[in-house]
Amino acid sequence: MQAHAQDGIVYTRATSYGLGFTSLQDTYLSPETYKGWEFRISRETLHQTKLMQGKIWQQTYFQGNFGYTDNRAENNKTATALANWNYGWYYRQPMTHNFYLLLGGAADLNGGFTYNMRNGNNPVSLRAYGSVDASVMALWDLQVKNRPLTLRYQANLPLLGLMFMPHYGQSYYEIFSIGERGGTVKVTTPFSTPSLRQMLSADYPIGKVTLRFTYVWDMQQAHINEIKSHIYSHIFMIGVVKRFQEL
Amino acid sequence: MRRWLLLIVSLLLLSSCVHEENHANSPIGNFEALWQIIDEHYCFLDYKQVDWDAVKRQYQPYITEDLSNDKLFQILGNMLAELKDGHVNLYANHNTARYWNWYEDYPRNYSEELVEKYLGHEYRIGGGLRYRILDDNIGYVTCTSFSSGIGNNALSEMLRYLDICNGIIIDVRNNGGGELTNADRLAGRFTNEKLLVGYMCHKTGKGHSDFSEPEPMYIEPSDGVRWQKPVVVLANRHSYSATNDFVNSMRYMPQAIIMGDQTGGGSGMPFSSELPNGWGVRFSACPMFDAEMQQIEFGIEPDIQVGLDPADQAQGIDTIIEAARAFLNKKS
Repeated sequence: MQAHAQDGIVYTRATSYGLGFTSLQDTYLSPETYKGWEFRISRETLHQTKLMQGKIWQQTYFQGNFGYTDNRAENNKTATALANWNYGWYYRQPMTHNFYLLLGGAADLNGGFTYNMRNGNNPVSLRAYGSVDASVMALWDLQVKNRPLTLRYQANLPLLGLMFMPHYGQSYYEIFSIGERGGTVKVTTPFSTPSLRQMLSADYPIGKVTLRFTYVWDMQQAHINEIKSHIYSHIFMIGVVKRFQEL
Repeated sequence: MRRWLLLIVSLLLLSSCVHEENHANSPIGNFEALWQIIDEHYCFLDYKQVDWDAVKRQYQPYITEDLSNDKLFQILGNMLAELKDGHVNLYANHNTARYWNWYEDYPRNYSEELVEKYLGHEYRIGGGLRYRILDDNIGYVTCTSFSSGIGNNALSEMLRYLDICNGIIIDVRNNGGGELTNADRLAGRFTNEKLLVGYMCHKTGKGHSDFSEPEPMYIEPSDGVRWQKPVVVLANRHSYSATNDFVNSMRYMPQAIIMGDQTGGGSGMPFSSELPNGWGVRFSACPMFDAEMQQIEFGIEPDIQVGLDPADQAQGIDTIIEAARAFLNKKS
Protein backbone atom coordinates (compact mmCIF):
# COMPACT_ATOMS: atom_id res chain seq x y z
CA MET A 1 0.00 0.00 0.00
CA GLN A 2 3.07 2.17 -0.08
CA ALA A 3 2.98 4.75 -2.84
CA HIS A 4 4.28 8.12 -3.65
CA ALA A 5 2.81 10.81 -5.86
CA GLN A 6 5.93 11.16 -7.91
CA ASP A 7 5.78 7.43 -8.80
CA GLY A 8 2.42 7.84 -10.56
CA ILE A 9 -0.99 6.68 -9.36
CA VAL A 10 -1.05 3.26 -7.72
CA TYR A 11 -4.33 1.36 -7.92
CA THR A 12 -5.25 -1.50 -5.62
CA ARG A 13 -8.14 -3.54 -6.92
CA ALA A 14 -9.58 -6.52 -5.06
CA THR A 15 -12.42 -8.89 -5.81
CA SER A 16 -13.55 -11.01 -2.87
CA TYR A 17 -16.12 -13.70 -2.16
CA GLY A 18 -17.43 -14.62 1.24
CA LEU A 19 -19.81 -16.60 3.37
CA GLY A 20 -21.07 -15.92 6.82
CA PHE A 21 -23.88 -15.61 9.29
CA THR A 22 -26.70 -13.12 9.27
CA SER A 23 -29.42 -12.17 11.71
CA LEU A 24 -32.41 -10.23 10.44
CA GLN A 25 -35.46 -8.59 11.95
CA ASP A 26 -37.99 -6.44 10.11
CA THR A 27 -41.17 -5.70 12.02
CA TYR A 28 -43.00 -4.82 8.79
CA LEU A 29 -42.74 -8.52 7.93
CA SER A 30 -42.62 -10.22 11.31
CA PRO A 31 -41.76 -9.52 14.95
CA GLU A 32 -39.51 -12.61 14.88
CA THR A 33 -35.75 -12.61 14.33
CA TYR A 34 -34.56 -14.69 11.38
CA LYS A 35 -31.09 -16.25 11.29
CA GLY A 36 -29.15 -17.95 8.53
CA TRP A 37 -26.31 -17.70 6.06
CA GLU A 38 -25.20 -15.01 3.69
CA PHE A 39 -23.13 -14.99 0.54
CA ARG A 40 -21.32 -11.81 -0.35
CA ILE A 41 -19.22 -10.55 -3.22
CA SER A 42 -17.22 -7.34 -3.15
CA ARG A 43 -15.06 -5.35 -5.51
CA GLU A 44 -12.91 -2.51 -4.33
CA THR A 45 -10.64 -0.04 -6.03
CA LEU A 46 -8.44 2.17 -3.83
CA HIS A 47 -5.99 4.61 -5.26
CA GLN A 48 -3.98 7.67 -4.57
CA THR A 49 -4.86 10.84 -6.48
CA LYS A 50 -2.69 13.73 -7.58
CA LEU A 51 -4.53 16.13 -5.28
CA MET A 52 -2.65 17.75 -2.39
CA GLN A 53 0.66 16.16 -3.34
CA GLY A 54 -0.87 12.72 -3.31
CA LYS A 55 -2.42 12.97 0.15
CA ILE A 56 -5.94 12.51 -1.17
CA TRP A 57 -7.06 8.94 -1.84
CA GLN A 58 -10.19 7.65 -3.49
CA GLN A 59 -12.10 4.43 -2.95
CA THR A 60 -14.88 2.76 -4.95
CA TYR A 61 -16.39 -0.16 -3.10
CA PHE A 62 -19.20 -2.38 -4.30
CA GLN A 63 -20.83 -5.18 -2.32
CA GLY A 64 -23.62 -7.54 -3.29
CA ASN A 65 -25.03 -9.94 -0.77
CA PHE A 66 -27.71 -12.60 -0.63
CA GLY A 67 -29.01 -13.96 2.65
CA TYR A 68 -31.31 -16.89 3.37
CA THR A 69 -32.68 -17.08 6.87
CA ASP A 70 -35.02 -19.16 9.05
CA ASN A 71 -37.38 -18.14 11.80
CA ARG A 72 -36.99 -19.56 15.29
CA ALA A 73 -39.41 -22.40 14.60
CA GLU A 74 -37.61 -23.14 11.32
CA ASN A 75 -40.89 -23.34 9.40
CA ASN A 76 -40.55 -20.12 7.41
CA LYS A 77 -37.78 -18.39 5.50
CA THR A 78 -36.80 -15.01 4.23
CA ALA A 79 -34.54 -14.18 1.31
CA THR A 80 -32.61 -10.92 1.33
CA ALA A 81 -30.65 -9.35 -1.49
CA LEU A 82 -28.82 -6.06 -1.15
CA ALA A 83 -26.47 -4.15 -3.42
CA ASN A 84 -24.26 -1.51 -1.84
CA TRP A 85 -22.07 1.01 -3.62
CA ASN A 86 -19.66 3.42 -1.90
CA TYR A 87 -17.66 6.23 -3.41
CA GLY A 88 -15.28 7.77 -0.92
CA TRP A 89 -12.54 10.38 -0.67
CA TYR A 90 -9.87 10.34 2.03
CA TYR A 91 -7.07 12.42 3.45
CA ARG A 92 -4.08 10.17 4.11
CA GLN A 93 -2.11 11.00 7.24
CA PRO A 94 1.06 9.02 8.01
CA MET A 95 1.28 8.25 11.72
CA THR A 96 4.59 6.38 11.53
CA HIS A 97 6.73 5.23 8.61
CA ASN A 98 4.40 2.27 8.02
CA PHE A 99 1.11 3.17 9.70
CA TYR A 100 -1.41 5.49 8.06
CA LEU A 101 -4.82 6.86 8.87
CA LEU A 102 -7.21 7.74 6.07
CA LEU A 103 -10.05 10.01 7.12
CA GLY A 104 -12.85 11.04 4.86
CA GLY A 105 -16.37 10.58 3.67
CA ALA A 106 -18.28 8.41 1.26
CA ALA A 107 -21.47 8.39 -0.71
CA ASP A 108 -23.24 5.17 0.31
CA LEU A 109 -26.10 3.85 -1.87
CA ASN A 110 -28.12 0.70 -1.14
CA GLY A 111 -30.90 -1.15 -2.93
CA GLY A 112 -32.52 -4.51 -2.36
CA PHE A 113 -35.31 -6.38 -0.64
CA THR A 114 -36.23 -8.89 2.00
CA TYR A 115 -38.87 -11.39 0.92
CA ASN A 116 -40.87 -13.35 3.47
CA MET A 117 -41.91 -16.67 1.92
CA ARG A 118 -45.20 -16.96 3.83
CA ASN A 119 -46.67 -13.48 4.09
CA GLY A 120 -49.71 -12.45 2.04
CA ASN A 121 -50.14 -8.72 1.46
CA ASN A 122 -46.89 -7.77 3.23
CA PRO A 123 -44.48 -10.27 1.68
CA VAL A 124 -41.65 -7.93 0.91
CA SER A 125 -39.71 -5.12 2.47
CA LEU A 126 -38.02 -3.00 -0.17
CA ARG A 127 -34.68 -1.51 0.77
CA ALA A 128 -33.68 1.72 -0.92
CA TYR A 129 -31.49 4.17 0.96
CA GLY A 130 -28.49 6.33 0.57
CA SER A 131 -26.35 8.44 2.83
CA VAL A 132 -23.23 10.44 3.28
CA ASP A 133 -20.92 8.45 5.55
CA ALA A 134 -18.04 9.35 7.78
CA SER A 135 -15.34 6.88 6.92
CA VAL A 136 -12.03 5.99 8.48
CA MET A 137 -9.29 3.56 7.46
CA ALA A 138 -6.18 2.47 9.28
CA LEU A 139 -3.41 0.93 7.15
CA TRP A 140 -0.41 -0.91 8.53
CA ASP A 141 2.33 -2.09 6.20
CA LEU A 142 4.37 -4.92 7.70
CA GLN A 143 6.91 -7.49 6.62
CA VAL A 144 6.41 -11.18 7.42
CA LYS A 145 9.09 -13.58 6.23
CA ASN A 146 10.40 -10.84 3.96
CA ARG A 147 7.07 -10.51 2.29
CA PRO A 148 4.73 -7.51 2.56
CA LEU A 149 1.67 -7.85 4.73
CA THR A 150 -0.90 -5.06 4.68
CA LEU A 151 -3.41 -4.93 7.48
CA ARG A 152 -6.37 -2.64 7.13
CA TYR A 153 -9.34 -1.65 9.24
CA GLN A 154 -12.20 0.38 7.78
CA ALA A 155 -15.41 1.71 9.29
CA ASN A 156 -18.21 3.54 7.51
CA LEU A 157 -20.82 5.33 9.56
CA PRO A 158 -23.88 6.87 7.82
CA LEU A 159 -24.41 10.46 8.95
CA LEU A 160 -27.17 11.93 6.82
CA GLY A 161 -29.27 10.38 4.12
CA LEU A 162 -32.62 9.35 2.73
CA MET A 163 -34.46 6.05 3.12
CA PHE A 164 -37.63 4.59 1.66
CA MET A 165 -39.89 3.06 4.29
CA PRO A 166 -43.64 2.36 4.18
CA HIS A 167 -45.72 3.66 7.04
CA TYR A 168 -46.30 1.39 10.05
CA GLY A 169 -49.28 -0.53 8.66
CA GLN A 170 -49.21 0.66 5.06
CA SER A 171 -49.53 -1.83 2.23
CA TYR A 172 -47.52 -1.67 -0.97
CA TYR A 173 -50.90 -1.66 -2.75
CA GLU A 174 -51.51 1.79 -1.27
CA ILE A 175 -48.06 3.00 -2.23
CA PHE A 176 -47.84 1.68 -5.77
CA SER A 177 -51.47 1.13 -6.91
CA ILE A 178 -53.27 4.00 -5.18
CA GLY A 179 -50.18 6.20 -5.23
CA GLU A 180 -50.10 7.24 -1.57
CA ARG A 181 -46.36 7.84 -1.28
CA GLY A 182 -46.31 10.79 1.13
CA GLY A 183 -43.91 10.28 4.00
CA THR A 184 -42.39 7.09 2.61
CA VAL A 185 -39.01 8.72 2.01
CA LYS A 186 -37.46 9.98 5.23
CA VAL A 187 -34.31 11.82 6.15
CA THR A 188 -32.01 9.54 8.12
CA THR A 189 -29.54 10.36 10.87
CA PRO A 190 -27.42 8.19 13.18
CA PHE A 191 -30.37 8.25 15.56
CA SER A 192 -32.90 6.74 13.11
CA THR A 193 -30.42 4.55 11.20
CA PRO A 194 -27.57 3.70 13.57
CA SER A 195 -25.72 1.57 11.04
CA LEU A 196 -22.06 0.71 10.78
CA ARG A 197 -19.99 -1.27 8.30
CA GLN A 198 -16.62 -2.49 9.54
CA MET A 199 -13.96 -4.49 7.72
CA LEU A 200 -10.69 -5.97 8.81
CA SER A 201 -8.49 -7.27 6.03
CA ALA A 202 -5.04 -8.71 5.49
CA ASP A 203 -3.30 -8.69 2.10
CA TYR A 204 -0.51 -11.23 1.81
CA PRO A 205 1.29 -12.63 -1.24
CA ILE A 206 1.20 -16.38 -1.65
CA GLY A 207 3.22 -17.42 -4.64
CA LYS A 208 2.65 -14.89 -7.37
CA VAL A 209 -0.80 -13.95 -6.12
CA THR A 210 -1.68 -11.50 -3.39
CA LEU A 211 -4.62 -12.79 -1.44
CA ARG A 212 -6.95 -10.71 0.69
CA PHE A 213 -8.58 -12.21 3.79
CA THR A 214 -11.40 -10.07 5.11
CA TYR A 215 -13.77 -10.15 8.03
CA VAL A 216 -16.83 -7.95 7.53
CA TRP A 217 -19.12 -6.89 10.34
CA ASP A 218 -22.07 -5.23 8.72
CA MET A 219 -24.75 -3.69 10.92
CA GLN A 220 -27.64 -2.14 8.97
CA GLN A 221 -30.36 -0.73 11.20
CA ALA A 222 -33.39 1.51 10.88
CA HIS A 223 -36.18 2.72 13.12
CA ILE A 224 -38.42 4.75 10.83
CA ASN A 225 -42.21 5.16 10.63
CA GLU A 226 -42.47 2.97 13.76
CA ILE A 227 -40.94 0.07 11.82
CA LYS A 228 -37.80 -1.49 13.22
CA SER A 229 -35.37 -3.39 11.06
CA HIS A 230 -31.87 -4.71 11.38
CA ILE A 231 -29.53 -6.95 9.44
CA TYR A 232 -26.41 -8.03 11.32
CA SER A 233 -23.88 -9.92 9.20
CA HIS A 234 -20.55 -11.51 10.04
CA ILE A 235 -18.83 -12.49 6.80
CA PHE A 236 -15.47 -14.09 6.11
CA MET A 237 -14.18 -13.31 2.64
CA ILE A 238 -11.26 -14.28 0.48
CA GLY A 239 -10.16 -12.51 -2.64
CA VAL A 240 -7.39 -11.60 -5.00
CA VAL A 241 -5.63 -8.25 -4.97
CA LYS A 242 -4.19 -6.63 -8.06
CA ARG A 243 -1.92 -3.61 -7.94
CA PHE A 244 -1.13 -1.53 -10.94
CA GLN A 245 0.34 1.85 -11.58
CA GLU A 246 -0.84 4.57 -13.91
CA LEU A 247 1.91 6.92 -14.92
CA MET B 1 -7.57 14.55 13.64
CA ARG B 2 -8.60 14.21 17.28
CA ARG B 3 -11.80 16.04 16.39
CA TRP B 4 -12.50 13.47 13.70
CA LEU B 5 -11.93 10.58 16.07
CA LEU B 6 -14.02 12.26 18.75
CA LEU B 7 -16.85 12.74 16.27
CA ILE B 8 -16.76 9.12 15.16
CA VAL B 9 -16.59 7.77 18.71
CA SER B 10 -19.48 10.04 19.71
CA LEU B 11 -21.57 8.82 16.84
CA LEU B 12 -20.74 5.23 17.70
CA LEU B 13 -21.93 5.85 21.24
CA LEU B 14 -25.14 7.37 19.92
CA SER B 15 -25.68 4.29 17.84
CA SER B 16 -27.69 1.59 19.50
CA CYS B 17 -29.23 -1.70 18.58
CA VAL B 18 -32.57 -1.49 16.81
CA HIS B 19 -34.26 -4.59 18.09
CA GLU B 20 -37.76 -5.76 18.98
CA GLU B 21 -37.74 -8.17 21.89
CA ASN B 22 -38.99 -11.65 20.93
CA HIS B 23 -41.42 -13.38 23.26
CA ALA B 24 -40.49 -16.76 24.68
CA ASN B 25 -41.53 -19.79 22.68
CA SER B 26 -43.83 -21.09 25.39
CA PRO B 27 -47.63 -21.13 25.75
CA ILE B 28 -47.50 -17.87 27.71
CA GLY B 29 -45.01 -16.31 25.27
CA ASN B 30 -47.10 -17.28 22.25
CA PHE B 31 -50.27 -15.98 23.90
CA GLU B 32 -48.59 -12.66 24.69
CA ALA B 33 -47.16 -12.42 21.17
CA LEU B 34 -50.56 -13.00 19.53
CA TRP B 35 -52.32 -10.57 21.83
CA GLN B 36 -49.67 -7.92 21.11
CA ILE B 37 -49.81 -8.40 17.31
CA ILE B 38 -53.57 -7.79 17.31
CA ASP B 39 -53.32 -4.98 19.86
CA GLU B 40 -50.77 -3.07 17.79
CA HIS B 41 -51.75 -3.91 14.22
CA TYR B 42 -55.43 -4.92 13.93
CA CYS B 43 -57.39 -2.08 12.33
CA PHE B 44 -60.99 -2.61 13.51
CA LEU B 45 -60.66 -2.69 17.31
CA ASP B 46 -62.23 0.75 17.70
CA TYR B 47 -64.84 0.32 14.95
CA LYS B 48 -65.99 -3.03 16.35
CA GLN B 49 -65.76 -1.69 19.90
CA VAL B 50 -63.67 -4.66 21.01
CA ASP B 51 -62.14 -4.19 24.46
CA TRP B 52 -58.93 -6.06 23.68
CA ASP B 53 -57.60 -5.65 27.23
CA ALA B 54 -60.75 -7.32 28.52
CA VAL B 55 -60.27 -10.13 25.97
CA LYS B 56 -56.78 -10.67 27.38
CA ARG B 57 -58.12 -10.81 30.91
CA GLN B 58 -60.75 -13.30 29.75
CA TYR B 59 -58.38 -15.76 28.07
CA GLN B 60 -55.15 -15.36 30.04
CA PRO B 61 -56.27 -17.56 32.97
CA TYR B 62 -56.53 -20.53 30.59
CA ILE B 63 -52.88 -20.24 29.53
CA THR B 64 -50.46 -22.35 31.53
CA GLU B 65 -46.93 -23.45 30.69
CA ASP B 66 -47.95 -27.13 30.51
CA LEU B 67 -50.70 -26.50 27.93
CA SER B 68 -50.68 -28.87 24.96
CA ASN B 69 -50.29 -27.44 21.46
CA ASP B 70 -53.83 -28.49 20.52
CA LYS B 71 -55.34 -26.80 23.55
CA LEU B 72 -53.25 -23.66 23.07
CA PHE B 73 -54.31 -23.47 19.44
CA GLN B 74 -57.95 -23.83 20.40
CA ILE B 75 -57.77 -21.07 23.03
CA LEU B 76 -55.89 -18.70 20.74
CA GLY B 77 -58.38 -19.42 17.94
CA ASN B 78 -61.27 -18.65 20.26
CA MET B 79 -59.60 -15.40 21.30
CA LEU B 80 -59.24 -14.35 17.67
CA ALA B 81 -62.87 -15.24 16.96
CA GLU B 82 -63.83 -12.39 19.30
CA LEU B 83 -62.86 -10.10 16.41
CA LYS B 84 -65.58 -11.58 14.16
CA ASP B 85 -63.42 -11.17 11.11
CA GLY B 86 -62.99 -13.57 8.19
CA HIS B 87 -59.58 -12.08 7.52
CA VAL B 88 -58.31 -13.19 10.91
CA ASN B 89 -56.71 -16.62 11.01
CA LEU B 90 -54.21 -18.65 12.96
CA TYR B 91 -52.29 -21.18 10.87
CA ALA B 92 -50.60 -24.28 12.21
CA ASN B 93 -49.69 -27.50 10.45
CA HIS B 94 -52.54 -29.35 12.12
CA ASN B 95 -55.32 -26.76 11.72
CA THR B 96 -56.43 -23.30 10.66
CA ALA B 97 -58.43 -21.24 13.13
CA ARG B 98 -61.06 -19.15 11.34
CA TYR B 99 -64.23 -17.18 11.80
CA TRP B 100 -66.64 -18.05 9.01
CA ASN B 101 -69.97 -17.18 10.64
CA TRP B 102 -70.29 -14.27 8.20
CA TYR B 103 -71.49 -16.76 5.59
CA GLU B 104 -72.06 -20.02 7.49
CA ASP B 105 -74.89 -18.43 9.50
CA TYR B 106 -76.80 -17.39 6.37
CA PRO B 107 -78.46 -19.08 3.37
CA ARG B 108 -75.89 -19.98 0.74
CA ASN B 109 -77.97 -18.64 -2.19
CA TYR B 110 -75.63 -20.44 -4.52
CA SER B 111 -75.41 -23.83 -6.15
CA GLU B 112 -72.36 -24.83 -8.15
CA GLU B 113 -74.48 -27.48 -9.82
CA LEU B 114 -76.97 -24.87 -11.05
CA VAL B 115 -74.21 -22.56 -12.26
CA GLU B 116 -72.74 -25.42 -14.29
CA LYS B 117 -76.20 -26.19 -15.69
CA TYR B 118 -76.56 -22.57 -16.88
CA LEU B 119 -73.05 -22.58 -18.34
CA GLY B 120 -73.72 -25.85 -20.19
CA HIS B 121 -70.79 -27.44 -22.01
CA GLU B 122 -69.99 -24.84 -24.62
CA TYR B 123 -69.02 -21.98 -22.37
CA ARG B 124 -65.81 -20.04 -22.93
CA ILE B 125 -62.98 -19.58 -20.47
CA GLY B 126 -60.83 -16.48 -20.58
CA GLY B 127 -58.80 -14.63 -17.98
CA GLY B 128 -60.11 -16.84 -15.20
CA LEU B 129 -63.73 -16.09 -16.13
CA ARG B 130 -66.29 -18.55 -17.57
CA TYR B 131 -69.00 -17.12 -19.81
CA ARG B 132 -71.65 -17.83 -22.42
CA ILE B 133 -74.66 -16.24 -24.07
CA LEU B 134 -77.94 -17.50 -22.65
CA ASP B 135 -80.97 -18.26 -24.84
CA ASP B 136 -82.59 -14.87 -24.24
CA ASN B 137 -79.49 -13.05 -25.46
CA ILE B 138 -78.21 -12.26 -21.98
CA GLY B 139 -74.50 -12.77 -21.32
CA TYR B 140 -73.65 -14.79 -18.25
CA VAL B 141 -70.19 -14.45 -16.69
CA THR B 142 -69.11 -16.25 -13.56
CA CYS B 143 -66.03 -15.23 -11.61
CA THR B 144 -65.28 -17.51 -8.66
CA SER B 145 -61.96 -15.97 -7.61
CA PHE B 146 -59.88 -12.85 -8.00
CA SER B 147 -56.72 -14.72 -7.01
CA SER B 148 -55.54 -15.50 -10.53
CA GLY B 149 -54.60 -12.75 -12.93
CA ILE B 150 -57.41 -11.45 -15.13
CA GLY B 151 -55.79 -10.48 -18.41
CA ASN B 152 -56.77 -7.29 -20.21
CA ASN B 153 -56.80 -8.99 -23.60
CA ALA B 154 -59.01 -11.78 -22.29
CA LEU B 155 -61.46 -9.21 -20.90
CA SER B 156 -61.61 -7.38 -24.22
CA GLU B 157 -62.18 -10.64 -26.08
CA MET B 158 -64.97 -11.56 -23.68
CA LEU B 159 -66.76 -8.23 -24.02
CA ARG B 160 -66.43 -8.34 -27.81
CA TYR B 161 -67.99 -11.80 -27.79
CA LEU B 162 -70.85 -10.62 -25.54
CA ASP B 163 -71.35 -7.43 -27.54
CA ILE B 164 -74.52 -8.74 -29.17
CA CYS B 165 -76.14 -9.27 -25.76
CA ASN B 166 -78.79 -6.93 -24.35
CA GLY B 167 -77.14 -7.06 -20.95
CA ILE B 168 -74.75 -9.18 -18.93
CA ILE B 169 -74.74 -10.86 -15.57
CA ILE B 170 -71.48 -10.87 -13.58
CA ASP B 171 -71.87 -13.63 -11.01
CA VAL B 172 -69.44 -13.18 -8.10
CA ARG B 173 -71.38 -15.33 -5.66
CA ASN B 174 -69.07 -17.60 -3.68
CA ASN B 175 -66.08 -15.56 -4.81
CA GLY B 176 -64.03 -15.32 -1.62
CA GLY B 177 -61.72 -12.62 -3.02
CA GLY B 178 -58.10 -12.46 -4.12
CA GLU B 179 -56.12 -9.61 -5.59
CA LEU B 180 -57.62 -6.12 -5.42
CA THR B 181 -55.88 -5.24 -8.69
CA ASN B 182 -57.82 -8.01 -10.48
CA ALA B 183 -61.11 -6.76 -9.04
CA ASP B 184 -60.24 -3.20 -10.09
CA ARG B 185 -59.27 -4.36 -13.59
CA LEU B 186 -62.66 -5.99 -14.12
CA ALA B 187 -64.54 -2.99 -12.69
CA GLY B 188 -62.60 -0.71 -15.06
CA ARG B 189 -64.56 -2.24 -17.94
CA PHE B 190 -67.79 -0.63 -16.75
CA THR B 191 -66.95 3.05 -16.50
CA ASN B 192 -66.04 5.67 -19.07
CA GLU B 193 -64.58 8.07 -16.55
CA LYS B 194 -62.39 7.99 -13.48
CA LEU B 195 -64.78 7.14 -10.65
CA LEU B 196 -64.37 7.63 -6.92
CA VAL B 197 -65.43 4.35 -5.30
CA GLY B 198 -63.97 4.49 -1.82
CA TYR B 199 -61.17 5.32 0.55
CA MET B 200 -58.37 3.42 2.19
CA CYS B 201 -56.15 4.19 5.14
CA HIS B 202 -53.57 2.45 7.27
CA LYS B 203 -52.32 2.40 10.81
CA THR B 204 -49.54 4.87 11.54
CA GLY B 205 -48.66 3.51 14.97
CA LYS B 206 -49.48 1.03 17.69
CA GLY B 207 -52.46 2.93 19.14
CA HIS B 208 -55.94 1.64 18.31
CA SER B 209 -56.85 5.02 16.77
CA ASP B 210 -53.56 5.75 14.96
CA PHE B 211 -54.69 6.02 11.34
CA SER B 212 -53.55 7.93 8.29
CA GLU B 213 -55.80 10.33 6.42
CA PRO B 214 -58.09 8.29 4.12
CA GLU B 215 -56.77 8.14 0.59
CA PRO B 216 -59.35 8.17 -2.25
CA MET B 217 -59.60 5.05 -4.39
CA TYR B 218 -60.61 5.42 -8.00
CA ILE B 219 -61.58 3.04 -10.76
CA GLU B 220 -59.86 4.13 -13.94
CA PRO B 221 -61.65 3.37 -17.22
CA SER B 222 -59.94 0.59 -19.12
CA ASP B 223 -58.15 1.39 -22.38
CA GLY B 224 -59.69 -1.78 -23.82
CA VAL B 225 -63.32 -2.65 -24.62
CA ARG B 226 -65.75 -1.15 -22.12
CA TRP B 227 -69.31 -2.37 -21.49
CA GLN B 228 -71.99 0.29 -22.07
CA LYS B 229 -75.21 -1.71 -21.63
CA PRO B 230 -76.94 -2.80 -18.41
CA VAL B 231 -75.13 -5.17 -16.09
CA VAL B 232 -76.34 -7.08 -13.04
CA VAL B 233 -73.83 -8.20 -10.41
CA LEU B 234 -74.88 -11.25 -8.42
CA ALA B 235 -73.59 -11.46 -4.86
CA ASN B 236 -74.09 -13.62 -1.82
CA ARG B 237 -72.75 -13.80 1.73
CA HIS B 238 -69.68 -15.58 0.44
CA SER B 239 -68.72 -12.61 -1.79
CA TYR B 240 -65.86 -11.51 0.40
CA SER B 241 -62.71 -9.39 0.60
CA ALA B 242 -61.59 -8.28 -2.91
CA THR B 243 -65.05 -9.33 -4.14
CA ASN B 244 -66.63 -7.07 -1.54
CA ASP B 245 -64.45 -4.32 -3.00
CA PHE B 246 -65.56 -5.23 -6.54
CA VAL B 247 -69.26 -5.11 -5.57
CA ASN B 248 -68.65 -1.78 -3.86
CA SER B 249 -67.04 -0.41 -7.04
CA MET B 250 -69.80 -1.74 -9.28
CA ARG B 251 -72.58 -0.08 -7.30
CA TYR B 252 -71.18 3.29 -8.39
CA MET B 253 -71.44 2.34 -12.08
CA PRO B 254 -74.59 3.99 -13.49
CA GLN B 255 -75.62 1.00 -15.62
CA ALA B 256 -75.05 -1.61 -12.89
CA ILE B 257 -77.23 -2.98 -10.13
CA ILE B 258 -76.39 -5.46 -7.39
CA MET B 259 -78.72 -8.42 -6.95
CA GLY B 260 -78.86 -11.42 -4.64
CA ASP B 261 -77.84 -11.24 -0.99
CA GLN B 262 -75.66 -8.97 1.11
CA THR B 263 -71.94 -9.52 0.59
CA GLY B 264 -69.86 -11.06 3.36
CA GLY B 265 -67.72 -7.95 3.84
CA GLY B 266 -64.04 -8.17 4.67
CA SER B 267 -62.92 -4.62 3.94
CA GLY B 268 -59.66 -4.79 5.87
CA MET B 269 -56.68 -5.67 3.71
CA PRO B 270 -55.00 -8.47 5.63
CA PHE B 271 -51.36 -8.57 6.70
CA SER B 272 -49.41 -11.58 7.94
CA SER B 273 -47.34 -12.10 11.03
CA GLU B 274 -46.24 -15.03 13.17
CA LEU B 275 -45.80 -16.37 16.67
CA PRO B 276 -42.59 -17.59 18.31
CA ASN B 277 -43.63 -21.21 17.69
CA GLY B 278 -43.97 -20.51 13.95
CA TRP B 279 -47.76 -20.43 13.75
CA GLY B 280 -48.85 -17.92 11.12
CA VAL B 281 -51.27 -15.11 11.92
CA ARG B 282 -53.40 -13.14 9.50
CA PHE B 283 -55.30 -10.01 10.47
CA SER B 284 -57.04 -7.00 8.92
CA ALA B 285 -54.52 -4.17 8.68
CA CYS B 286 -55.73 -1.48 6.25
CA PRO B 287 -59.43 -0.54 6.38
CA MET B 288 -61.31 0.37 3.21
CA PHE B 289 -64.47 2.45 3.08
CA ASP B 290 -67.07 3.22 0.44
CA ALA B 291 -67.21 6.57 -1.39
CA GLU B 292 -69.30 8.03 1.45
CA MET B 293 -66.60 6.99 3.98
CA GLN B 294 -68.90 4.35 5.43
CA GLN B 295 -67.49 1.04 6.70
CA ILE B 296 -68.16 -2.00 4.51
CA GLU B 297 -66.45 -4.52 6.79
CA PHE B 298 -69.76 -6.30 7.47
CA GLY B 299 -70.93 -6.34 3.85
CA ILE B 300 -72.86 -4.41 1.21
CA GLU B 301 -76.60 -4.74 0.79
CA PRO B 302 -77.84 -5.52 -2.72
CA ASP B 303 -80.05 -3.12 -4.69
CA ILE B 304 -82.50 -5.97 -5.22
CA GLN B 305 -82.65 -8.72 -2.60
CA VAL B 306 -83.29 -12.12 -4.14
CA GLY B 307 -82.81 -15.50 -2.50
CA LEU B 308 -82.37 -18.92 -4.06
CA ASP B 309 -85.75 -20.66 -3.79
CA PRO B 310 -85.30 -24.34 -2.81
CA ALA B 311 -88.34 -25.27 -4.96
CA ASP B 312 -86.73 -23.60 -7.99
CA GLN B 313 -83.41 -25.25 -7.15
CA ALA B 314 -85.11 -28.66 -7.11
CA GLN B 315 -86.28 -27.96 -10.65
CA GLY B 316 -82.84 -26.88 -11.83
CA ILE B 317 -83.67 -23.18 -11.76
CA ASP B 318 -81.41 -20.57 -10.18
CA THR B 319 -83.87 -18.00 -8.85
CA ILE B 320 -81.25 -15.27 -8.69
CA ILE B 321 -79.97 -15.75 -12.24
CA GLU B 322 -83.57 -15.83 -13.49
CA ALA B 323 -84.36 -12.59 -11.64
CA ALA B 324 -81.32 -10.97 -13.24
CA ARG B 325 -82.36 -12.18 -16.71
CA ALA B 326 -85.88 -10.84 -16.21
CA PHE B 327 -84.50 -7.50 -15.05
CA LEU B 328 -82.17 -7.17 -18.03
CA ASN B 329 -84.83 -8.29 -20.53
CA LYS B 330 -87.20 -5.72 -19.11
CA LYS B 331 -84.49 -3.05 -19.45
CA SER B 332 -83.91 -3.92 -23.10
